[in-house]
Amino acid sequence: MFQRLREDKALQGTLLILPTLAVMVGLLIIPLGLTLIISFGQRTADGGVIYTFTLDNYLRLVGITPGCGFKSECFDPLYANILWRSLTLALQTTALVILLAYPLSYFIARAPLKRRNTFLFMVLVPLWTNFVIRVYAWMMILRTQGVLNGILGWLANLLGLPFVPLEMLYTPSAVLVGMVYEFLPFMILPIYTSLEKIDPALYEAAADLGANAARTFLRVTLPLSMPGIVAGTILVFIPVMGTFIVSDILGGRQVILIGNLIQRQFLDARDPTFGSAASLILMVMTLIVTYFYTRKFGFGEEIVAV
Amino acid sequence: MNKNAFWKLLSALMVFGLILSACGPAAATDVPAAATDVPAAATDVPAPAEIVTSSGFVCPLPDQKMEITSKELNLFVWTEYIPPEWKECFTLVYGVTINHDEYSSNEEMYAKLNAGGTNYDLVQPTDYIVALMVRGGLLQKLDQSKLAQVYAEMDPNYMNLEFDPGNVYTLPYQAGTDAIIYNADKVSTPPTKWADLWNPDYAGRMVFLDDSRVVIGFTLLTLGYDPNTTDPAKLDEAKTKLMQLIPNVKLFDSDSPKTALIAGDVDLGMTWTGEAFLAQQENPAFTYVYPTEGAILWQDNWAMPAGAPHADAAYAWLAYTMQPNMFWLMLRDFPYINPNKAALDFAKDNQPDLYGPYMASPITNVPVDAIKNGHRIQDVGEALPLYDQLWTEVKGGQ
Repeated sequence: MFQRLREDKALQGTLLILPTLAVMVGLLIIPLGLTLIISFGQRTADGGVIYTFTLDNYLRLVGITPGCGFKSECFDPLYANILWRSLTLALQTTALVILLAYPLSYFIARAPLKRRNTFLFMVLVPLWTNFVIRVYAWMMILRTQGVLNGILGWLANLLGLPFVPLEMLYTPSAVLVGMVYEFLPFMILPIYTSLEKIDPALYEAAADLGANAARTFLRVTLPLSMPGIVAGTILVFIPVMGTFIVSDILGGRQVILIGNLIQRQFLDARDPTFGSAASLILMVMTLIVTYFYTRKFGFGEEIVAV
Repeated sequence: MNKNAFWKLLSALMVFGLILSACGPAAATDVPAAATDVPAAATDVPAPAEIVTSSGFVCPLPDQKMEITSKELNLFVWTEYIPPEWKECFTLVYGVTINHDEYSSNEEMYAKLNAGGTNYDLVQPTDYIVALMVRGGLLQKLDQSKLAQVYAEMDPNYMNLEFDPGNVYTLPYQAGTDAIIYNADKVSTPPTKWADLWNPDYAGRMVFLDDSRVVIGFTLLTLGYDPNTTDPAKLDEAKTKLMQLIPNVKLFDSDSPKTALIAGDVDLGMTWTGEAFLAQQENPAFTYVYPTEGAILWQDNWAMPAGAPHADAAYAWLAYTMQPNMFWLMLRDFPYINPNKAALDFAKDNQPDLYGPYMASPITNVPVDAIKNGHRIQDVGEALPLYDQLWTEVKGGQ
């Protein structure tokens, strides 16, 4: 028995992945299957589930009122709008995060070796604080009588200019600022890793061959750091699609995102069937976007520079 | 990085624990030392040692100490809704360890209990969810004989309500209202009824509870309809009306609407009793108005889930914490409407600084008319998805 274990590499492998496999099956595959089954069920008045097979929940999600037919007045794009809003917010956040993270990662990667760790440390320090507390901190900064308006007012006063406090909190921009802030470190780290790995000799080679700075960046640096951008995008885009805490706190709960919608179904609306359908749609939508993105740019693996 | 935070937190907790455990025995040994002096000097009857919490609160003895065998009590209560002294005193008096979980909405509590597998001994459902829990077999009947004293000391106005006739399943804990609040320094035309909230002068200046039932409920009231209607046509009318309120809304907040009011982000809106009372203490300009169409009334209650594993400890807890010399702490910590008449009488004699403001404020000492005129949210069962869809449309339509 033990001898076999010592010699049989395949058995060793199986044994080693067994715990992970158990976790994946028990906490991912089975719940996912249950979600799928419930999404085809019907709600009871008290929030229970009647297990049948109906597509009503999915029809409602795409905007077709069940039992109404395919007439134009039966089409209500309510939930499609919510999905669209969540998707645009996630794409905006991801794009802004890339734009902000790239220069910073570049700066850190090109800094003297001794400083790099300090800079990385500074990027990570905010993560020690709880996610929600960091969002609340933005509330203090952005509110009408908050820190930012205080500073602006003081500056205006100094310059003798009239000043009306800006309304910043509870606006869509506040939500975007909060989202970008929360997810920035998850983009900086992978981009930094891929930039740091670039052999400085490649820059010299580019310069020797007569490439200017812009050309070097476009033909050498950017392609070689693509794996970092891809990995960072996956790390940011997927959680951003489902998150709603930032939008709730900084946006004043004025809009409903797909995350809010799902949460409401399991609590206030007591409709787990519709909630299950919505969470599966969210998952499928995220998968589709990620699939096409990785098809185009790879899965964060090394891309050999052409 | 999270790991680091975890270790920091853990070590901070350990240090805190050490301080506590260092204080605990010291305080405990002090008391018998003081107590033993007394009988030696006076009579041969030993004076009972005082039970003191770590914060220095002298625990009153139970009026009637129950015989219990349980060593644990599992509470499932609203976030920050129990005076800390209760738990410590109960543990000191009965030797019972208290496990304490919290929820921040009735729906959350209901979902957890409905999913099964919990072993809570006491929960604190609000009125409208009680009927639903009873129907689902989630609650057990209370043994009123064990709590005769408590039942007798309650204000009858908060007993025997339609959600639980005869208080078979529930015991009132705290009550309150949802009504209008405004900052008198900043609002020149004060609202007097729900319909006034649509005033275009208030554009972008208001906070509302993020509670679909309550907000749709008062919208229905402005239209002259029942706030618990299940009629799709009336709800459709309410949707159109509510959409017109949206330009006035700066934010929805069910956690702490007073924060935005006090910080000056908004000038008026709707909130509930406790938040209004605290906002007013912070700034007397905040005025709480019972709208003429009627405020929304609510009541939180104690209830015992079916299959509670430590029912004996739960009864002991209820009898002990609801007795007047314990329950007055609620006036100090949670200024809501206090349905415990005996506790109010106790506060009148012993805590005039708490009793005075409580009685003086119409927020806590609600005028009889406001109660009579008020409306309660009831469960709408089958129609609930209609309400949810309405809410999603109102919030999604921008």
